[in-house]
Amino acid sequence: MLAVDGLTCGYGRVLAVRDLSFEARPGEALAILGPNGAGKSSTLMAVAGQVAVSAGTIRFDGEDVTTLSPMARCARGIALAPEGRRLFRDLTVRENLIVGGYVRPARDTHAAMERVLDLFPRLKERLDNLAGSLSGGEQQMTAIGRAMMAAPRLLLIDEVSLGLMPKNVDICYEALDALRRAGLTIVLVEQSLERVLAMADRVIVLESGRLAWAGTAAEARGNPEVVRAYMGGAAV
Amino acid sequence: MLHVELVLQGLVNGSMYAVIAVGLTLVYGLLRILHVAHAGLFTLGAYITVLITNATGSLPLAVAVSAVTVGVAGMLVYRLLYEPLLDRPPYVALIASIGLFICMEEGYRIVFGPYGNSFDTMQLTERINIGPIGMAAADAAMLVGAVVLLTGLGLLMKRTRFGVAWRATVTDPAMARAFGIDTVKVRYVNFFIASALAAAAGALVAVLNNLVEPTMGSVPSYKSLAIIVLGGLGNVGGTLAAALLLGVIEAYGTIYAGSFLDRDAIAFVFLIAVLMVRPQGLFATGRP
Repeated sequence: MLAVDGLTCGYGRVLAVRDLSFEARPGEALAILGPNGAGKSSTLMAVAGQVAVSAGTIRFDGEDVTTLSPMARCARGIALAPEGRRLFRDLTVRENLIVGGYVRPARDTHAAMERVLDLFPRLKERLDNLAGSLSGGEQQMTAIGRAMMAAPRLLLIDEVSLGLMPKNVDICYEALDALRRAGLTIVLVEQSLERVLAMADRVIVLESGRLAWAGTAAEARGNPEVVRAYMGGAAV
Repeated sequence: MLHVELVLQGLVNGSMYAVIAVGLTLVYGLLRILHVAHAGLFTLGAYITVLITNATGSLPLAVAVSAVTVGVAGMLVYRLLYEPLLDRPPYVALIASIGLFICMEEGYRIVFGPYGNSFDTMQLTERINIGPIGMAAADAAMLVGAVVLLTGLGLLMKRTRFGVAWRATVTDPAMARAFGIDTVKVRYVNFFIASALAAAAGALVAVLNNLVEPTMGSVPSYKSLAIIVLGGLGNVGGTLAAALLLGVIEAYGTIYAGSFLDRDAIAFVFLIAVLMVRPQGLFATGRP
C-alpha cells in the first residue's frame, strides 16, 4: 500500500527526517511514535506532499508519488488530517466537508457527507456552524470527516488526541477503529502511547529524524527501547 | 422628506463605492495585494461602455462587452503583473500596482484625449416616481445594478461548490490545494469577477455623469482603499456596509458640512475619525 524508502526531508537546510524507510500494509493501522522534534509530523507531511522530499521515494500502490502534488496524491487516495486540524475556520462544517470532497465528483458529495455524519453523528447539529466556533473535539471530528470526504484508501492523521477531552478522544478513536475495520489503512502520529498501542497493528519509533525501532504493537508494549525513545524511561 | 432623499442619494453613491470596493477586497482577501490599478480597470470599463453604446446604440450590450473585456484585462494584470511578484514583499506589488494605474491613466489620455467623452445620446434620463419619492432613472439603475451584481456574487460565493472552494482558498491556500482545489484557477476567476465588477461600476458612473475622462478613477481609487480599511481588510460584508455608510455620510455631510468641507474631504474626515477609534476598521474579522 505505502512504501517509504530512504526518505529525507525538511524545511530549507534543516533536515527533519533522514534516510527513513517503512511501509504500511493494506488495512492496517501504523503508529509513528517518538519524542518532540523526532520528525513524525514531517514524515506525514512528506507522504501527503506538503513537505518537499530531498531524497528517497514514496510509493503508493506501486506508483512512485514522490514528486506528485498534494492534490494529485489526494486524488489517488491519500488524505491528511494535519496537526492543529487546520480547518477552514471561516467556513461552516458543511462547507469544510464539501472542500474535503472537492477532488471527487460533485454528485458524490451528498453520499460522502452522509457517511461522515454516520461516523460522527454529533456533527449533524453543527453542520451550519463556523468551524472556528467548534470545540476541540468537534474540530477534530470535522478534520477527520473532511479527510474522509475524499474517499481515501490511506488516512494520515496527526495528533488525534492532542488537547481533547477524554470523551472526545474516545469518539475519535472509535471512529478510526471502525474505519480500519472497514479496510482503511491508517498512519497515525500520537502523543498518547496507551491509546495508540491499543489501536495500532504496528509501530515505528523515530529519534532525531531516523528510524529507532520498528515492530508490532504487542512487541512495543513494555519494550525498553520504545520506552526510552518515547517516554524518557517511564513504564508503558 | 429631505432625510429620505439624502439617504437615497447616499445609497446610490454607496452602491457605486460598494461595487468597486468589493472587487478590491476580493483581490486583497485572496492575495493580500492592495490592487490600486483596480480603479484603472473601472475607467476602462467606463470608456468601453461609452464607445460601444455610441457605436451600436445599445447600452446593455455595451455594459456586457465592457464587463467581459475588462474581466479578461484583469486576468492579464494578474498574470503579467502580480503573479511574478507573489513571492516578493507586499509593498512590491503595491508599487507595481500604483505604477500600472498611472500608466493606464496616461494611456487613456493619449488614446481617448484629455477632455473626456460622453454618450452621443444621454442614457436613462427619465425620472422614476415611487409614491412621493422620485429619483433619476440613472440613480435607480445604479442602485438596482449594485443589488443585482452583489446578490449574484453573494450567491456564487455562498451557494456554489466553486464559491466554497474560493473561500477555502482565501482562508488557507495550501490546505485548499491539498484537497484538490485549483487555486490558480480561483485566482484567475477572482480577478475576472473583481474586474468585471469594476467595469460595471464604471459603466454606471458613465451613465450617471454622462462623462468619462482619464482621471475618473482617481477618487474612487483612494476612496475604495479607505472603504476596504473601514470594512476590515478582506471582509466582503464589512466592505459592503462601509461603502453604503460612507455614501450616506457623504450625502449628509454635503448638506450639513458642505460649506466648509468638500465631499471627498468629508469621506476622509470620517475615515480618520473611525481609524482613531478602531484602527482595525469597523468590521474587522481578526485576520490582517
